[in-house]
Amino acid sequence: MAQSYAVETHGLTKRYATGVLAVNNLELRVRSGEVYGFLGPNGAGKTTTLRMLSGLLRPTAGTATVAGGQPGSPASLAQLGAMVETPAFYPYLSGRDNLRVMARYAGVPKSRIEPVLRQVDLTDRARHKFRTYSTGMKQRLGVASALLKDPQLLILDEPTSGLDPQGTVEMRELIKDLRHGGRTVLLSSHLLNEVELTCDRVGVIARGSLVAEGTVEELRARSGGQALLVRASPIDQARRLLESLLKPDQVQLRDGVFTLTVDPSQAAAINRRLVADGLDVSELRVSEQSLEEVFLELTEKQP
Amino acid sequence: MIASLRADGLKMRKRWANWIMVAILLAWLVLLVYALLYLLVKTQPESLRGSAVPASVLKRQIFPENLIPTVLSTATSIGAAIMIIFGALSTASEYGWSTIQTILIQKPGRVAVLGGKLLALAVATVLISIAAMAIATVSAYVVVTIDGSSSSWPAATEIAKSFGALVLQLGVWAAFGAFLGIAFRSTAAAIGGGLVYLFVGETLLGGLFRGATVIKEILKFLPGINASAVNAAFHLTYRNPGTQAALVDATRGVITLLVYLVVFTVLGLLIFRRRDVGGS
Repeated sequence: MAQSYAVETHGLTKRYATGVLAVNNLELRVRSGEVYGFLGPNGAGKTTTLRMLSGLLRPTAGTATVAGGQPGSPASLAQLGAMVETPAFYPYLSGRDNLRVMARYAGVPKSRIEPVLRQVDLTDRARHKFRTYSTGMKQRLGVASALLKDPQLLILDEPTSGLDPQGTVEMRELIKDLRHGGRTVLLSSHLLNEVELTCDRVGVIARGSLVAEGTVEELRARSGGQALLVRASPIDQARRLLESLLKPDQVQLRDGVFTLTVDPSQAAAINRRLVADGLDVSELRVSEQSLEEVFLELTEKQP
Repeated sequence: MIASLRADGLKMRKRWANWIMVAILLAWLVLLVYALLYLLVKTQPESLRGSAVPASVLKRQIFPENLIPTVLSTATSIGAAIMIIFGALSTASEYGWSTIQTILIQKPGRVAVLGGKLLALAVATVLISIAAMAIATVSAYVVVTIDGSSSSWPAATEIAKSFGALVLQLGVWAAFGAFLGIAFRSTAAAIGGGLVYLFVGETLLGGLFRGATVIKEILKFLPGINASAVNAAFHLTYRNPGTQAALVDATRGVITLLVYLVVFTVLGLLIFRRRDVGGS
């Protein structure tokens, strides 16, 4: 059966009038029902991409299909809830009135307002003016607004930006809940642990292009995956032995610990040789490359 | 578009700045037009004593018989300024608060969003015109009653025509403000630009260089001059001899104002529909 995509782009490109090429020939496919992490450093083109998918920016070239329609078309917007960059609402209106305004624009009944306020835990402050809200409450109101249409596709741009640790944890839990009912969530972030904890698949964007895509495990494997960490003494003798057993570029010494880029199944054999040569082995364990290391490797590789 | 109209109606209703502007317009009519002129006529300050026009004639400007020209003259001055601010606030604020991106991600297309906003402005313009006419009517009645004089009210057909003229003029200025708000994407620039045009570009320069043939021809195409021409068509029992004669006739004035209304609306729609939101 053909895979259905909530978001699909072909050659999506955006060059601003200033000449800046923000997004370059982007090929992005977000499967229906998944939580997709859109990862990239600041200025990589994440927000520009999300703005194009929401119909706020016109692409310079390429095409996109969002929730079955052209970005910005009423058919696409009817199935899309989005919070792009910072949540923007009317400061003189209460949280509830802001949602009333958005509900009227979206053509959804006002009976949807209280459930979404409850969902983001904002009912108690809903009567207060938006300008009195903390950053966390503004973010939650942004999510509530995005949920008003009960959309099939939810786009959240840096939803934990500016939140304190408690707020970050709460937002993360909320995002996990949002996928229920087969909803697709496209989550942009530059916070790696956030993506690792919440997303099924990850796309890494650097300088406007997608440089890697897959599950977190797949990205780790592609980027070298696992390694063996060995602490043995005397160090010089251990280095000579390890370099004779392996290729020199597979052995790295940092802070008294050897990092061996080998299959972890060789751990027992390496341990036996070290002990047999009279070396003291005080530590030997498998190390997984962190997503941060993978991310840095992927984004720094780009020209 | 109806959904957008309802959304914008709610925003307009809940915004204090809008109510303050309406209050300023109505207070101007009551205090600076009716109350001030009546007090001047009654107290006869030094500066008025040498006037060639007797007080008994002058005060009839604020009697019911002159209700229409008095209200319309307000529309070309403070009314125009208030409506430019009103229109500019309704569009430029969306950019200032970045709410434009939040509403464009909701269901309606861009044309429907702006169409709803302009419809809401149109409804507000009609309501403001009704309020201005009503407050002027009450003021004129109070003045003539206090004075113990007699006066007649304008015919119903004249009132209907003048109401149409008032709505048209205020609508053109509101559309101008809304257009500037979209073009500049900044409340301060839109309001500043609109007021500078109104008070410096049209009123001041138009007054100073009216004698020059070329300037005179240009003035014939400006909205304020055409609005004044429409107002001049309504009968005033006493007209200040210093008042400049209309440069065009009332029919041309109405047509020109309608053209401006369409041009500001269409230009605003074109920019709003095509322009990127956000990014740099």
